[in-house]
Amino acid sequence: MITCEEFLAEFGDYLENRVSPEIRQELESHLSQCRACQVLCDSTRKTIKIVTESSSFELPQCVSDPIIERVMAKLRTDRSE
Amino acid sequence: MSFLREVQLEREFGPFVVFHEALGFTPNLLHAQSSLPRLIEAQAKLENGVRFNAGAISRIQKERILLSIAADRQDAYCVAMDNTVLSTLGVPDEQIDDLLNHLPSADLSAAELASLQFCLKLSRDAPSIQLEDVEELRAHGFDDEAILESVALTALAIYRCTLSAGLSPELDFAPRKLSFAKSNSAREKTYRLLPFGHVRARRKGPYVPAPYLSPKTFAPFAIIEKSHGFLPNFFRAQTLRPDLLEAQLEATGWILQPEDILTRVQKECILLAVSAANLNSYCVAMHCNLLRGLGMPSEEGDQIAVDYHASDLGPSDKALLDFAIKLGTRASEFSREDVVHLRTLGFSDEQILETEVVTALNNFANTLQMGLGIEPDFVPPPVFQQNKVQLSGGATTPMQGEGAVQLVDILRDADAELVSQAQGGSLEAFEELVRRHTQLVYRTLMAILGNPADAQDAMQDTLLSAFKHISGFQGRSKFSTWLVSIARNTALQHLRGRKNVESLDEGECKEDRDFRPRQVRAWQENPEQCHSKTEIRQLVEAGILALPTKFRVVVMLRDIEQLSTDEVARQLGLSIPAVKTRLLRGRLMLREWLSPHFTASTRGAVQ
Repeated sequence: MITCEEFLAEFGDYLENRVSPEIRQELESHLSQCRACQVLCDSTRKTIKIVTESSSFELPQCVSDPIIERVMAKLRTDRSE
Repeated sequence: MSFLREVQLEREFGPFVVFHEALGFTPNLLHAQSSLPRLIEAQAKLENGVRFNAGAISRIQKERILLSIAADRQDAYCVAMDNTVLSTLGVPDEQIDDLLNHLPSADLSAAELASLQFCLKLSRDAPSIQLEDVEELRAHGFDDEAILESVALTALAIYRCTLSAGLSPELDFAPRKLSFAKSNSAREKTYRLLPFGHVRARRKGPYVPAPYLSPKTFAPFAIIEKSHGFLPNFFRAQTLRPDLLEAQLEATGWILQPEDILTRVQKECILLAVSAANLNSYCVAMHCNLLRGLGMPSEEGDQIAVDYHASDLGPSDKALLDFAIKLGTRASEFSREDVVHLRTLGFSDEQILETEVVTALNNFANTLQMGLGIEPDFVPPPVFQQNKVQLSGGATTPMQGEGAVQLVDILRDADAELVSQAQGGSLEAFEELVRRHTQLVYRTLMAILGNPADAQDAMQDTLLSAFKHISGFQGRSKFSTWLVSIARNTALQHLRGRKNVESLDEGECKEDRDFRPRQVRAWQENPEQCHSKTEIRQLVEAGILALPTKFRVVVMLRDIEQLSTDEVARQLGLSIPAVKTRLLRGRLMLREWLSPHFTASTRGAVQ
């Protein structure tokens, strides 16, 4: 069986579904027997879900509009000069 | 006399001894490289690993493959050498005649005939090789190692033929029979060559299984990781035979590492341009990435792949690429005049020799990649891919020379229309473009600067700078990619005033990969339900801002802005493997950050 270290080496690709069927099988047989990696895998998947669904760093329109308007105003004045 | 200057080397020179022991003579092909003995070392490593060492395929079978490919390529030097070798191994003259003239009469087993046909197809038309061809070999009882060896032998045969065309060594033996050329039409029928239009855009690979090999236990992998910054699939796909990997790595070391004759950049340009002429998008992407690592802007690498005549290379470097492409893809047209031409441009014989060997090595690698169906590590330059698609529709032969890859098509970008209006001076079009990408720009700036006030300031500068430079945008990437690159540069300028600027560069440090998870308690079933949306967003934002910049940028674009990994790589000018490493590391750090709030026992309480 592969070690936790080897599992970690492929973990990123595994999360993104980018491993070959053979490697997937090895990883999953490791998972079925290693509690620490199980927890890691489950909580990392949950992390990704939470992060992607958090709508973090959204610039509200009430902030972005004045910025864009300032830029456009400057471009218009530059042009008319 | 061969084309290039030779010197007398001692008979005891290691590689000579290797060949003398295996063949009973030292081929003139080696003497023709004597002005740079390290290149002979390289060939000896390859031949020893692929040909002389015992493997899954018998030695006679290997020699028959080499001879058949040499004959198919009408390489008189290699044919004369290989048929003598086969004779000394006890193969009767009649069979050699049949190998040269009419394969089906050569009294070979069905399996060996199938393998010869596979190798010939790979040699003639590498892009047409598909999983089905490999399955056919399996159906004839070839195991994975034998398949890998067949591909490697074909690659070696092409390496030797490329060199023989470039060097024109004197024949080692009088040609006993060279009538192979005249009955070409009879041979044609025996190979089931598919028309080129059948090439699929994406083939399923790799064709042979690749057991996991750790860089910790297999030293060559550690070396490759160090030089490439990651472990390319090219090497991973050959783990079934570590001995072949070692041989290749040693040969590559002798050819590519020293900078006493050609520079590393020149060699990479040759590898890139000849791979492009061979329509090998895997190797194109790999060498574009390596050139980027050597400091060449990625647009310039793309330009060399698509049409190096329009690149910023100097005239003599362009002539060098013309030379390499002719040798690498149209060896039968190659002549002494090509060598003389380079000499008149001031190239030394050593430089010409090294160019030829780099070209041969390129064809070796291109053949291996196609034959094993190795999957890409990177997105190839978009223009190049587009050309490839165009070509496969109309072209009848796979190797079109440099003319074929010159048609540059403008990328299909949803913003293209607005961009051209904005370039024509329309402020309304520019405003619409800006509004489409506000979030992407803001998140890029937030990722690098780490606080909203700075990001908003930088946003204004980014947009002004974008308008100022929009006439210079040539459509070689998507507009959004270009806009992000401006945002990135603007943010980096803002950072310059600050202390402890963290690098966004490609370089990977040891800690990137040695990260170990510390929190091992299980999480709740539905962690997001115990917190309000606002709480979660604040938690995530704080966690992301706490990440070191280079991880933050990748997580921001991949998980918050939700671009694909390929797109993140393109936006940030990073390789896909670098993005993957940083993404995983960033996600694991976020997991550590969020863990105390979501573990089953703590129910949200900070411990």
